[in-house]
Amino acid sequence: MSHTETAVQSPSKSRLRVGYGLVRDLLKIHPKIFAIAVAGASVYAVCTVASSFGVAYLVDHVILPRFETGKIDAGVYLVGAAIVICIGLLRAFGVVIRRSFAGISNWRTVESISMQLVRHIMSQPLFWHKRKMTGDLVARVGVDSDAAAEVLGPLPFSTSVVLLVFLTGGWLLIVDVPLGLVAISVIPILLVLNVGYQRRIDKHYDTAQHELGSLSSAVHESFDGVMVVKAFGAEDRETRRLSVISTRLKEARIRAVSARSTFEALLDGVPSLVNILLLVVGAMRVDSNSMSVGELTSFIYLFTLLIFPLRIIGYVLSSVPHSASGYKRVREILDESVELDPQTLILESSANCGVRLEGVSFGFGKDLPDVLNDVTFEIAVGKTVVIVGATGSGKSTLLSVMAGLLQPNHGNVWIANRSAAIVFQEPFLFSGTIRHNIDMGRALSDSVMHDSLYLAAADEFVSALDDGVNTVIGERGISLSGGQRQRISLARAIAQQSSVLLLDDTTSALDTVTESLVIDRLRHSKNIVTTIIVASRPSTIALADEVIFIENGQVSDQGIHANLMVRNENYRLLMQSFEHDREQGGL
Amino acid sequence: MNEPVSRFGSARTIGRGMRVAPALSNGIALTFLFAFIGTGARLVIPILIQQSIDHGLQPGNIRVSYIAVLGLIGSGFVLVSSLSLRVATKRLGTRAEEGLFTLRIKLFDHIHRLSLADHNDEKRGALVSRVTSDIETLTMFFSWGGLSLLLDGSQMIAVASVMLAYDWRLALVAFAVSAPLVLVLRLVQSRLVYAHNISRERNAQLLGVFSEMVSGAETLHAYKATDLMITSVAKDVRNRGDSNIRAGIIGAFLFPSGEVFAVFTVMAVVGAGLLIGPAGGLTAGALVGFVFLTYRFLEPIAEFTEVIDQTQSAVASLRRVLGVLDTPIGPPQPSHPIALPAGVLSIDFVDVSFAYGSRLDEVDDDTPVLNSINLHIPGGQHIALVGPSGSGKTTVARLIARLADPTVGSVMLGGVALHRVDNSDLRRRLIVVPQEPFLFADTIAYNLRFAAPDATDNELTNVFSDLEIEDWLESLPHGINTNVGQRGGSLSAGERQLIALVRAAVVRPDVLILDEATSSVDALTEVRISKALSKLAQGRTTVSIAHRLSTAARAERVVLLEQGRIVEDGSHEQLLALKGQYAKQYETWVTSTQSNLGS
Ligand SMILES: Nc1ncnc2c1ncn2[C@@H]1O[C@H](COP(=O)(O)OP(=O)(O)OP(=O)(O)O)[C@@H](O)[C@H]1O
Ligand SMILES: Nc1ncnc2c1ncn2[C@@H]1O[C@H](COP(=O)(O)OP(=O)(O)OP(=O)(O)O)[C@@H](O)[C@H]1O
Ligand SMILES: [Mg+2]
Ligand SMILES: [Mg+2]
Repeated sequence: MSHTETAVQSPSKSRLRVGYGLVRDLLKIHPKIFAIAVAGASVYAVCTVASSFGVAYLVDHVILPRFETGKIDAGVYLVGAAIVICIGLLRAFGVVIRRSFAGISNWRTVESISMQLVRHIMSQPLFWHKRKMTGDLVARVGVDSDAAAEVLGPLPFSTSVVLLVFLTGGWLLIVDVPLGLVAISVIPILLVLNVGYQRRIDKHYDTAQHELGSLSSAVHESFDGVMVVKAFGAEDRETRRLSVISTRLKEARIRAVSARSTFEALLDGVPSLVNILLLVVGAMRVDSNSMSVGELTSFIYLFTLLIFPLRIIGYVLSSVPHSASGYKRVREILDESVELDPQTLILESSANCGVRLEGVSFGFGKDLPDVLNDVTFEIAVGKTVVIVGATGSGKSTLLSVMAGLLQPNHGNVWIANRSAAIVFQEPFLFSGTIRHNIDMGRALSDSVMHDSLYLAAADEFVSALDDGVNTVIGERGISLSGGQRQRISLARAIAQQSSVLLLDDTTSALDTVTESLVIDRLRHSKNIVTTIIVASRPSTIALADEVIFIENGQVSDQGIHANLMVRNENYRLLMQSFEHDREQGGL
Repeated sequence: MNEPVSRFGSARTIGRGMRVAPALSNGIALTFLFAFIGTGARLVIPILIQQSIDHGLQPGNIRVSYIAVLGLIGSGFVLVSSLSLRVATKRLGTRAEEGLFTLRIKLFDHIHRLSLADHNDEKRGALVSRVTSDIETLTMFFSWGGLSLLLDGSQMIAVASVMLAYDWRLALVAFAVSAPLVLVLRLVQSRLVYAHNISRERNAQLLGVFSEMVSGAETLHAYKATDLMITSVAKDVRNRGDSNIRAGIIGAFLFPSGEVFAVFTVMAVVGAGLLIGPAGGLTAGALVGFVFLTYRFLEPIAEFTEVIDQTQSAVASLRRVLGVLDTPIGPPQPSHPIALPAGVLSIDFVDVSFAYGSRLDEVDDDTPVLNSINLHIPGGQHIALVGPSGSGKTTVARLIARLADPTVGSVMLGGVALHRVDNSDLRRRLIVVPQEPFLFADTIAYNLRFAAPDATDNELTNVFSDLEIEDWLESLPHGINTNVGQRGGSLSAGERQLIALVRAAVVRPDVLILDEATSSVDALTEVRISKALSKLAQGRTTVSIAHRLSTAARAERVVLLEQGRIVEDGSHEQLLALKGQYAKQYETWVTSTQSNLGS
């Protein structure tokens, strides 16, 4: 992983700040929904307190008289029951509101974060993508964003619990200051515990979330290469590789579980201990005639009611580190500034010029040698030019620069109408219909669709399919043969109707007859555009007006094939290799 | 739903999950015991407080020391139960991680062994989501949901027994009134199950879309289709959110249903108590005490409903995990494998027909890609398989490599039917080099050792020399320790093919299948490699699929495939003399490779 960890903040103060910052950031996204959830929770909180009064009313006015006087006062019972039931229903209503809106707030926030990530990732240029692992990015968009917002689910409830504690505490303070202080002390104690907990657990969750990302990359890669894995019978080895990462994940999680279980046990115990303390201190207060027994009993009942909600608060607090680690990984992507889109650097060429490059150099990294070196050439509008060069000489890189996908380190690129359609050497098809792969989501007229398929010599096999262009193909075009994939991607490029067509070895998977069909059709197409073809066979070169010969990232020669054959030794050698082979083989 | 999902009920699903990953239920009894002691405080404290109030806080008779002693005892209880709770949580969490680890690994291993058709049917990202996101959901459940379930269950049982002992009449009233809650819970739960199934499914779909979006970023940029992609992703994101929200709202009604029942139950208990009255031997204190017990009894239901929601989400995920584990691996492995004979291996196709089936299709109307192929390739022969694009050449290669089994007929290697051959035996003897080879994001050496884990650096570099491409290796900045990038993306397409060839050559297999393995390599290098390969091909059966017919000309025998049938079969010269399809193809090839273009 090439990620530099985000700057480590000073250890002690940062914990609360991380949690606070996380919650603040999340709440900023959909504050209104969250507010409704909190309102629902508050209704619940208030009704909880009210219901204890309701029960007290029943006890005092119905139960006690019944057993003292022996009479049942049905009217009073019904009134009391009605009050308690109404409070109960109201409380239930509060819960429904709280939970529904907590869910809405949680998932809408996840949505916002994911989409923010998607937009950010999609606006990063190709060069950025080349440095990232697919599986890791997917984990950040799909798993970490979930984790980040997770804390929002139980948050409204805990907000209302804090309210509840302060309400009760406030009331206790009014009646009796020392007792009130004891009750309220539960909040700072929990906070202090939480800070300690986060300090211990942070790194485990960070490791776990990081390993989850690595796991996702590794699994993704391994499934992506399932054919190789099968072909080499490497299933067991792959499983072992994955189990190493999974073990690291598991161990980090188990360390977290250990810390978490201590924390949760404390969360369970502390309110009970405070409750006992309340009792003892209360007894002393009653003893010194500062309060009545009745007041103390109702205090204690009220506090007992708080114990369950306080436990829930604990769950929120203990889920903060997990959310925070998810959020950290989300931020790592969002905080990377969007790199310049090289497309914007492409210049509009002058009237008769299809493509022009001037002093273009390109390298994949500072410490790597330049792949393109001072490339300069010009191609007139409507011409067809073939780029020839040995394996690894930089042909594909050159095409990517012309397509505005890679940014040259030096030099400029001019393209007619600033738009070129490229067919990659290893075309990528999306799962979906053939039509969708050709129009790429834009509406295309049937005639354009048909012409494109025809020019790419794909019309025949596509119409032979059950559903024609509406046939669904698998991810990466898996249900098509190699040559079929290539022709669909060629049709896609043609359908763009760009002024410049860039074909990277686009006929490599075609048999000779189909290849000459494609080349023939392209040559006789009426919509003549500037076409640049990376090719190796003389047949393709025959179609060209001109040849550009690339050696080690430099233009070593440019001109008509026949001339190059005469004047360029290396070019001749490359071109004649098949002939020589035939002669030597005596064929 | 178009993906493998197990169809059992919740309890059975969890039960099966525990059987697949025994660690999940390991020592569960002891964990339960600790959890039970852990809940103790929840019961003891209220009783304690009641006691102090009754006996220590009589007006005019405040026994502070008595209360302090009780408080100390109580604190002791709290300490013990907190400790137990810690042990229980830790045990449960640790075992959950162990269990999920097992589940993850089993799942991963199984997915690798699924048939090609199963791999084609589901997006990569969706498959990955089962190993990552679905298992994550389970982690949440098993690490605290499961515990709450245990604790709440035990609290309810404990309180119920106390209630019965206290006053069986009131207890029966309370149970009777709260019983219908079970029905309500069941009703809501079934909807909840459905809602969670949908949301997990949409989650997988979304992750599939994400991964396709990231993998296809290059194409999306090149076609300026990023905005369209974002719009379409936004729809999937929204859908997943909506389905989760729907599940959440259903869950939201679950929780208060417990609350509402609590209120009615308490009112019924009070009513019944009033009716029974002193005549039935009831006292005011007992009734009040019973009312609070009833609250205690119903209190866990609140937490319980929270957990039910989580349980359903976990069950939905577990079903997806089990669903994959239930999908048979393909092609199936023989129970009594027959060893391949030593030495060169012949290849036979006996009446082979093949159609790419899909689990998704209900009807078997797939058009066959191969039609009654009969082919005998003697051991040691080098044949070239040629034919128009889409004629079925790659499919033939896949059948020989047993990446799929024929729909009809059988394929034999060295006279042994492939379905009787052990997978590892086969993989040691046979290698396929595909046109678009897959490389792992690691060094060249790592990728080569993928084929031969024990090869030394020297052995690896020697293979480069054998194939006469050592000069290329030397041109690399770090030699065989050069990193190739994701999918080999830091190499050129031709360079990737070179690595794949070397990777195959490292193994020195008895059967080598080259599926357009040099289609992107420049002509000079290709000719050099094919010569080297021919030398290496001595004593080995080789099938070359190639559009560059120089390869065919070099082979001992040429087989021409058209629309899934063998139409021509013979030596290069014989086929030329036949003046059929092959002759035509070859003629085109010769003219297209003549460097004097006649202009
Ligand atoms: N992402 C990358 N990072 C580092 N080096 C790269 C990267 N992509 C390509 N290269 C290197 O740049 C050089 C040129 O690659 P390019 O793909 O342009 O070659 P090519 O001429 O298209 O070759 P081929 O005929 O094999 O397709 C190669 O040596 C390759 O190793
Ligand atoms: N995974 C698949 N699922 C469904 N159909 C497939 C699958 N793979 C190939 N096909 C179909 O089977 C037929 C034969 O494909 P195959 O890949 O064997 O052709 P090929 O002869 O190798 O062609 P090419 O020269 O273009 O690579 C094609 O029509 C193709 O669309
Ligand atoms: Mg290239
Ligand atoms: Mg093929």
